[in-house]
Amino acid sequence: MFDKVEAFYRPANVREALRLLQSGKGQARVVAGGTDVVVEGDDSVRYLIDITHAGLSYIRRRGTASVIGATTTMAELEASDAMQALAGGLLSRAARWCGSALVRNLATLGGNMANGSPAADMATPLLVLDASVVMVNARSRHKLPLAEYLAGARTKRHARSLLVEVVVPEPPNGKGCRWSFQKLGRTAVDISLVNVAAGLQLDSRGRVKWARIALGAVAPAPMRASGAEQRMKGRILDQALLAEIGAEVAREVSPISDARASAEYRREISSVLTRRALEECSAHVGCSL
Amino acid sequence: MKNMELHLTVNGESLNWTIAPGELLLDVLRRQGYFGVKRGCEKGECGACAVLLDGMPINSCLMFAAQAEGRQILTIEGVADGGKLDPMQEAFLDHGAVQCGFCTGGMVLSAKALLERRPDPTEEEVREMLAGHLCRCTGYRKPVEAVLAAASKKRNTARRMKPVAEVVR
Amino acid sequence: MNGDRAGQSRDRQGAVSRLVVGRNVRKVDGVKLVTGGAAFTDDVHIPGMLHGKILPSPHAHARIRRIDTSKAKALAGVHAVLTYKDVPRVPHTTAGQAWPEPSPHDTYLLDSKVRFVGDRVAAVAAESRAIAERALKLIEVEYEILPAVLDMEQAMAAGAPVIHDEPDSTKIYDRQRNIAGYILREIGSVEQGFAEADHIFERQYRTQRQQHCPIEPHVTICWLDADARLVIRTSTQVPYHCRRQVAMILQIPVSRVHVVKPRIGGGFGGKQEMLLEDICGALALASRRPVKIEYTREEEFYMARSRHPQILRMKMGVKRDGTVVASQLTVLATTGAYGSHSTTVQGNTGSKVLPLYRAAHMRFECHVVYTNAPVAGAFRGYGCPQGFFAQETLVDEIACELGMDPMDFHRNNVIRLGDTDLLSAQLGEGKEGLPRLVRSCGLPQCMESAARAIGWTQKRKSLPNGHSHLRRGVGMACTMQGSGIAGVDWASAFLKMNEDGSFFLQVGASDVGAGADTVLSQIAAETLGVTLDKVIITSGDTDITPFDVGAYASSTTIISGGAVKKAAARVRSQVLELASKMLDAPVDQLDCANNEIFTTCACRKSVSMTDLAMQAMYKEKLQIMDGASHFNTDSPPPFCATFAEVEVDTETGQVRVVHLATAVDPGTAINPMQAEGQVEGAVAQGLGYALTEELLLDAAGRPVNPNFLDYKMFGAQDMPKLTTILVETDEPLGPYGAKSISEVPINGPAPAIANAIFHAVGVRIRKLPIRPEDVLRALHAERPANLEEELLTQ
Ligand SMILES: Cc1cc2nc3c(=O)[nH]c(=O)nc-3n(C[C@H](O)[C@H](O)[C@H](O)COP(=O)(O)OP(=O)(O)OC[C@H]3O[C@@H](n4cnc5c(N)ncnc54)[C@H](O)[C@@H]3O)c2cc1C
Ligand code: FES
Ligand code: FES
Repeated sequence: MFDKVEAFYRPANVREALRLLQSGKGQARVVAGGTDVVVEGDDSVRYLIDITHAGLSYIRRRGTASVIGATTTMAELEASDAMQALAGGLLSRAARWCGSALVRNLATLGGNMANGSPAADMATPLLVLDASVVMVNARSRHKLPLAEYLAGARTKRHARSLLVEVVVPEPPNGKGCRWSFQKLGRTAVDISLVNVAAGLQLDSRGRVKWARIALGAVAPAPMRASGAEQRMKGRILDQALLAEIGAEVAREVSPISDARASAEYRREISSVLTRRALEECSAHVGCSL
Repeated sequence: MKNMELHLTVNGESLNWTIAPGELLLDVLRRQGYFGVKRGCEKGECGACAVLLDGMPINSCLMFAAQAEGRQILTIEGVADGGKLDPMQEAFLDHGAVQCGFCTGGMVLSAKALLERRPDPTEEEVREMLAGHLCRCTGYRKPVEAVLAAASKKRNTARRMKPVAEVVR
Repeated sequence: MNGDRAGQSRDRQGAVSRLVVGRNVRKVDGVKLVTGGAAFTDDVHIPGMLHGKILPSPHAHARIRRIDTSKAKALAGVHAVLTYKDVPRVPHTTAGQAWPEPSPHDTYLLDSKVRFVGDRVAAVAAESRAIAERALKLIEVEYEILPAVLDMEQAMAAGAPVIHDEPDSTKIYDRQRNIAGYILREIGSVEQGFAEADHIFERQYRTQRQQHCPIEPHVTICWLDADARLVIRTSTQVPYHCRRQVAMILQIPVSRVHVVKPRIGGGFGGKQEMLLEDICGALALASRRPVKIEYTREEEFYMARSRHPQILRMKMGVKRDGTVVASQLTVLATTGAYGSHSTTVQGNTGSKVLPLYRAAHMRFECHVVYTNAPVAGAFRGYGCPQGFFAQETLVDEIACELGMDPMDFHRNNVIRLGDTDLLSAQLGEGKEGLPRLVRSCGLPQCMESAARAIGWTQKRKSLPNGHSHLRRGVGMACTMQGSGIAGVDWASAFLKMNEDGSFFLQVGASDVGAGADTVLSQIAAETLGVTLDKVIITSGDTDITPFDVGAYASSTTIISGGAVKKAAARVRSQVLELASKMLDAPVDQLDCANNEIFTTCACRKSVSMTDLAMQAMYKEKLQIMDGASHFNTDSPPPFCATFAEVEVDTETGQVRVVHLATAVDPGTAINPMQAEGQVEGAVAQGLGYALTEELLLDAAGRPVNPNFLDYKMFGAQDMPKLTTILVETDEPLGPYGAKSISEVPINGPAPAIANAIFHAVGVRIRKLPIRPEDVLRALHAERPANLEEELLTQ
């Protein structure tokens, strides 16, 4: 499969990694956990660059933000106290859904984003947390909203860049602020047919201060349902609103049919999971729907 | 294709192998005679190729061999202590958790790693761990029972050992 | 820890005194399996071994116009390239069946025509997998693409492309209409039966292409030994059939072929098929080097076998009180591009299914058609899962329509002890069969105990289904199977004594992971009166072990076990004869147990097996040894009751099986722990069949989910709570009363779950697998109120 590979590098820092990526002239491939790289089995790869020694495995606070190094594994996200505390443990919980326990010991957060799958399970929770990614290339280092990055993760634009970290700004805190992650697969270990992450804050009178909804596997890239989010603002969260939001979400998504599920099914499930995510958020704050 | 050197520890033995840079860990281990590491799908889905990497279970088919540089690997061949089976292996035999045995090595390794982290796992946790191991023969009930039984036996033995340790101290 | 053994209290002569049979001993091959000992086919290094690869057809139906292998041959490291031009053309079937195989002889080692995506075009042997793969790309093929037929309902239509237009294939029922096989059998007169009925029900069902998915893919290694004989080390269930078939296909004498079956990583019927042995052998002969071919998982999905998809029309006539008077099953099945097991699997769909009910009138009709799809074959259950899905869901529907408890419907109608099943007499292995007499039957107890385990009576009446979107229901199904093919399956065993009082047991039977070596050793040990460690078994090596048809048709315990028991009894009498001399006591006053022969009279004299063995070998100059062959003229049915509790998510259509109780009558369980394992493994496959597993093809006939990520089997977290109950009976035709167990439990989950879904949400799903989408669609059809309205009114 990888018999054209001529060299395997283990750069000790990002600069070195970038240099190797540059000199690979498009035939070099970054390897983090390798779980996607290996399965993809791209025959044309000549150089492999293992970035797990480049100092990118960390979970830190920077100011009010949480910063997650690109090669942090799913298993580390699951187990991290900081992640379990952030946004009600949203990222820890979502990480637990990423493949089997074996896969999660290898799979990294950076790989999950950089692979650019519309079904990547970490994308939707990060989208509702308004995360950004930090990209570096030979010339620059810049921060990019995650949504923007995901739209072109596998394009030429990022081909010679490294995703070094994911920055999660301090989530809106305070009373009535809750988060939820919902995933539907055919079996317990599965690529999402649909996944939904949501965040919600209600004011003291049960009105929606803000809502964030993201959906995966229902569009070319994981997406925020901004129409639905707008509609919720200032409204009382009741069954009627949930039904309306469900219908709005179904309009916003653009799923495809494949071996896993039909487009119609994904559309319908988008509504159901969105409603369940919002219900879970509101249930936590003691709002009785 | 240029070959490269790989230094790693397998089952406690420090080794130095020549590998191709694009080779997968599974292929290298089998070539070196670790036949207990099985090839079931080569896509990370079945878990038959599982080994412990620095104590954590991973799919050796999802990893380039070169990624294992400097690391500790435990394969199923390294689990029994000479002729003495590991309690987890005993439990698998006593509970009828082995049928064809093709998935067994991987399951035993994952189970051992789980007990290191969680000596008292719930059935739910055992099942979550086993979810990375497809077994077409057993229906999973007996493997789950075996792991739970091995866990409780291990805890009991640990408890019995304790006073002795105190006396020594 | 073990499941209840409801039948245990039964008073059975000798049962209490058994020391090895009926005990939960560890697997005799267990230690090497848990320690990763090199045990399986591919666990060897053979110096100079080449890697074989098969060039798969990219087209569903095409003729090879031109094939040029010169570039591939020129590639460094390539040692052999074979096309149809290089190999003998011998029509055969890949089905590992007894000679003369009833399946159509419609397959060739390599052919100038390809009939499905994945069909063999050429084969190479090269020094590495990578070179072999490169060589495949260098083979130039010009195809004349032919129209293909993928839909089984169109295969017989006028103008459909003829898949087997070659003149030399044989045993095809009607090649012009793509009919591989046709079956019509009737007992009584269904016309009359339906006329007598008060109610007639008729429904159509569909089942899918399920794959075996052994975790070990098919793998074969061939080489020429020092005597230039062809050695085939292979993952097979049928070493002897494989030897015969390969010899015939490669046109070498049987005596020049040596088949070795090591440990096998699961078969389930998929390895009752000669898939790689012939081509691997041909490559070894051509290259004069050892050659290995191992399917990748993807190739396994493309090229290995699957369960026959069927469209079933089931019609039943019942009296007002629910008595079944007539049943009729009309089946259209597809065997894919080749007719492996085509008539025999489908024959079972009638003969093992309809006779569950005591109707006087039964009719079974079936067309098995070719399509340009992956090939179907033998698969655990062998035609029964399809048939029982139709029959048991229809029966549930009838019971519900008549306002009866489905349990009562079953109680009144199912086959009983002493009944004779006449349909089996008409439907044997590709020919007339033999009538089946029910000599042991634990079905009523199976039903009662599984019903109790699931809480049937109470849950049938009331389940806590409030306004939640999660709704629970319970359903049931009864099923049966056979134990060996009557009058066809046979086996032999050979035993010889060693100086230390141990015994070598040689059997042709093939342990493919289900524990045959252990069970057969237990039977030998019990009969000989020795402990299990004194029996050293060798199985499935055609040079060493005597003949056995192989591991299929639930035959190993009853048929191979029967041979072992006979051989052991003969050896035992040799032992006793010598002991009688040594102890100076008549043979009828001797017994043996625990490695000792002792007098049963008051004098209490004894001699150990070891001393007796030394006496035999060095004083008497006698090798104590004997062998025996065994077959049955009847196939005693094991029975099974499956009860399921499900939870249906009415918003997503997802079905979660909460609890599945399976009670099986296997005759005697020689090793109850292993027997339970067989039940639970079958149930897991049955759950996948019911809910998630399906090999899908695109419009061009190409598999779209040839991997475990998208072909969904049940994992540890998906399994429901399992209750496994063994209801033991004493089968006169089986060794120590054993029948069989490994197939029958696979039949029940699909109908039991479909019935439970109906109980939960009131929709009938008649197509497998029961996907969430289908449930949801059915729910919407049932309640046309649109989603939003429903939400608002909640
Ligand atoms: C059996 C199995 C089950 C799976 N189940 C799930 C699931 O349930 N949910 C889910 O979301 N995913 C799943 N995955 C997919 C995969 O495990 C994840 O996407 C994982 O997070 C990828 O991380 P990695 O480190 O292994 O990536 P790699 O394979 O190392 O890399 C993936 C891609 O990203 C590039 N890349 C990696 N890191 C960087 C970086 N820092 N900068 C730039 N480019 C980079 C690589 O070049 C490659 O193209 C599954 C995979 C397998 C094999
Ligand atoms: S072979 Fe590695 S997971 Fe299947
Ligand atoms: S025991 Fe055969 S796959 Fe698990």
